[in-house]
Amino acid sequence: MVFKDARDYQILFLSMFLVLGIVTRDWSLRPLFIVVTILSCLLTQWLLFALTTKSSPFALSSFSFFRSPLITSLGLSLLLRADHWTTMAIAGFVAVGSKFVFRVEDKHFFNPANFGIISALVIAPDAWVSPGQWGEEWWYGLLFAGAGGLILKKVGRWDTTVAFLFSYGGLEAIRNIWLGWTWDVYCHRLMSGSLLLFALFMVTDPRSIPNARVGRIVWAVAIAILTFVLRNYFFLPTAVFWALFTLAPLTMLMDIIWSAPTFKWAGLDMPSLQLQTQNLFHAKAQRQASDVGGSPDLRQLAHKEEVLHEQV
Amino acid sequence: MNKFRYLFQNLFKSLVSSILAIVFFFLFTPGAWAFCGFYVSKADSKLYNKASQVILARSGDRTVLTMANDFQGDVKDFAMVVPVPTVLEKDQIKVAPPKIVERLDGFSAPRLVEYFDSNPCEENRYEDKVFAPPPAPVAESSARRRGARERDLGVTIEARYNVGEYEILILSAKESNGLETWLNRNGYKIPRGASNLLKPYIRQKMKFFVAKVNLDKFETSGYQNLRPLQMSYTSPRFMLPIRLGMVNATSEQDLLVYILSPKGQTEVTNYRTVKVPSNNNIPLFVKNEFGDFYKSMFQTAYTKEDKKVAFLEYAWDMSNCDPCSAEPLNPEELKEAGVFWLNGEQNPSFPGNPSIAPNNRRRPPRPIPTSDRVFISRLHVRYTRDKFPEDLMFQETSNQELFQGRYILQHPFTGEATCPAAKEYKNSLRKRFEQEAQTLAKLTNWNIQEIRKKMKITGQVSISWWQNVASWIGF
Repeated sequence: MVFKDARDYQILFLSMFLVLGIVTRDWSLRPLFIVVTILSCLLTQWLLFALTTKSSPFALSSFSFFRSPLITSLGLSLLLRADHWTTMAIAGFVAVGSKFVFRVEDKHFFNPANFGIISALVIAPDAWVSPGQWGEEWWYGLLFAGAGGLILKKVGRWDTTVAFLFSYGGLEAIRNIWLGWTWDVYCHRLMSGSLLLFALFMVTDPRSIPNARVGRIVWAVAIAILTFVLRNYFFLPTAVFWALFTLAPLTMLMDIIWSAPTFKWAGLDMPSLQLQTQNLFHAKAQRQASDVGGSPDLRQLAHKEEVLHEQV
Repeated sequence: MNKFRYLFQNLFKSLVSSILAIVFFFLFTPGAWAFCGFYVSKADSKLYNKASQVILARSGDRTVLTMANDFQGDVKDFAMVVPVPTVLEKDQIKVAPPKIVERLDGFSAPRLVEYFDSNPCEENRYEDKVFAPPPAPVAESSARRRGARERDLGVTIEARYNVGEYEILILSAKESNGLETWLNRNGYKIPRGASNLLKPYIRQKMKFFVAKVNLDKFETSGYQNLRPLQMSYTSPRFMLPIRLGMVNATSEQDLLVYILSPKGQTEVTNYRTVKVPSNNNIPLFVKNEFGDFYKSMFQTAYTKEDKKVAFLEYAWDMSNCDPCSAEPLNPEELKEAGVFWLNGEQNPSFPGNPSIAPNNRRRPPRPIPTSDRVFISRLHVRYTRDKFPEDLMFQETSNQELFQGRYILQHPFTGEATCPAAKEYKNSLRKRFEQEAQTLAKLTNWNIQEIRKKMKITGQVSISWWQNVASWIGF
């Protein structure tokens, strides 16, 4: 099962960045906080899924079920800093919780890690984000780009990254020319590890961004414009995260204007998650009623159930 | 300096003999300071300003910026140009007491700590401490200035004030060539290439704070040196313009920024903020050359980080210190350093008039929230044009982690000890000395053989590979 899903690569790379950061960059990262964040995300996913689908929490144990909250927790650990472990726990809870609360039909429109970061910044007095922590070494850039590219190719959302980076880079270039700075200023502004991390791993989350390519591009350009404004005119060091947070609900609008099938992690072709859930419970009831375990139909149903867990 | 050192050593010997735990320190006065803006010169002599000290006290979007001034030349040659985010009114500019930067430097400087081994034959081993001098920030400076006259070149004199011994103009300009011509015509010799650098600030609607010295006032003031200039403003920009300072710089420049915040650590957002190596055990002889040690160590760390990071040298709550290299600042001194949020203090110098603040889409001025907390971050930035293309941008964080540049001397027990444990202890010393030598060599890039010679280590001591590994990863 492992490495068949693009998210496994995402988990691998995010973990690698985390290790790399701890070893080569003296971040104020504490292992305890990482563990707390991971546990908080996993437990929230487990609990809320059980509550919302009213299925037994003990039935949800497959690895694939925990992929999504694991990615969220790694993203939070990479980007969010706090003084107390409780803040990380709250951020993890709110991040994963947002998936269950802010959803339209089968789709959540906030990127969970982004939602967790912004919530922590707003509600916790001791949370912060260190945009300068990655430095601007070229090899980091390459590493991020390579890893991100690999994942994006897997899930087919590279267009968002390209649209975001090109429009943001373009705006910064125009500003650079207008101000009369030399081009090394421009490069320095763009060669930020945090910006690439955002562009490759956060703004591309296929489950929460617009479904149609046109929608995604318009949406990414809007985020780039807002990031540019927040960074240069409001002097917000966390501009990208605020931009994504503010414009995330636009996803729904984009999906109405330009419709396309909702992205699913593992290629089951079903119209909607809700419908699937209904079907699944219906099937479960049938299975209980007929009590004939082990038939090929029911094995298929069990597989569908696993896929459903992945999608939430 | 030598006198101090001599005194220090005498005191130190008496301490050893009486085996008393006594703490003392002395301050190492920096040789010279300069500004972070750029200097303009009347003379044709080569210009460079190598080190600057700046205090930034900030809460919300209010900032008090203090620029230390230790200009060593003829004061009539002094002038400075600093981009500022808003037009400053007269009560937003003042001169600060010269001692205040020295106090902050002394309080936050990297420190040398001494410990004494107790008699290995006695069971309870306790530590005696002596704290030794903080190093001098590397500093040299030079600057010039010229008189000024008005001309219409798209340059507007927004305000003109006399503050202490300074004559201050706040200029706004429409285009950089006009400003350059204006400054040149008014007797400020602008370094070549400055015009290109003025443009981005003009386009960002920043103003220019231009100061020169009123000679009459300076003479009657009775001060030997120029006092620091302090300005208060309300702006969301939390930055230091370093680019202008590089116009006339020929080499690496050092900038020490003391950032005071009610929240916690402050970090640089557009460059990495890295802690200086700290808590290392180093050989005893370093006590006599701590300044050299720190300079070499800083240079080594700076090179290792590819010369493009800001170093954190100190991060601490200002109500205490451990060990203290200087007494914590009292509320009066904190106020002098620009802290305006202390309970019961009201700083009148934030008019918060939205009409005079470009980029200021802000609401009417809010009351300044008060707090008793002052957290200091001491950032040491050594910058060059190629590695630091952008001005420094900062952000305050809630990070409460305490950090200090601290280096440890561990004195061996030198008295009589004849028990079996003493033998073991003496054997362990050789390894310890070798380890200290290697740590020092690694930190400073000094020659290991010379270090051994200075330490009078006789014969080679083998160190296991895992000890080497441990020393490399900092244990």
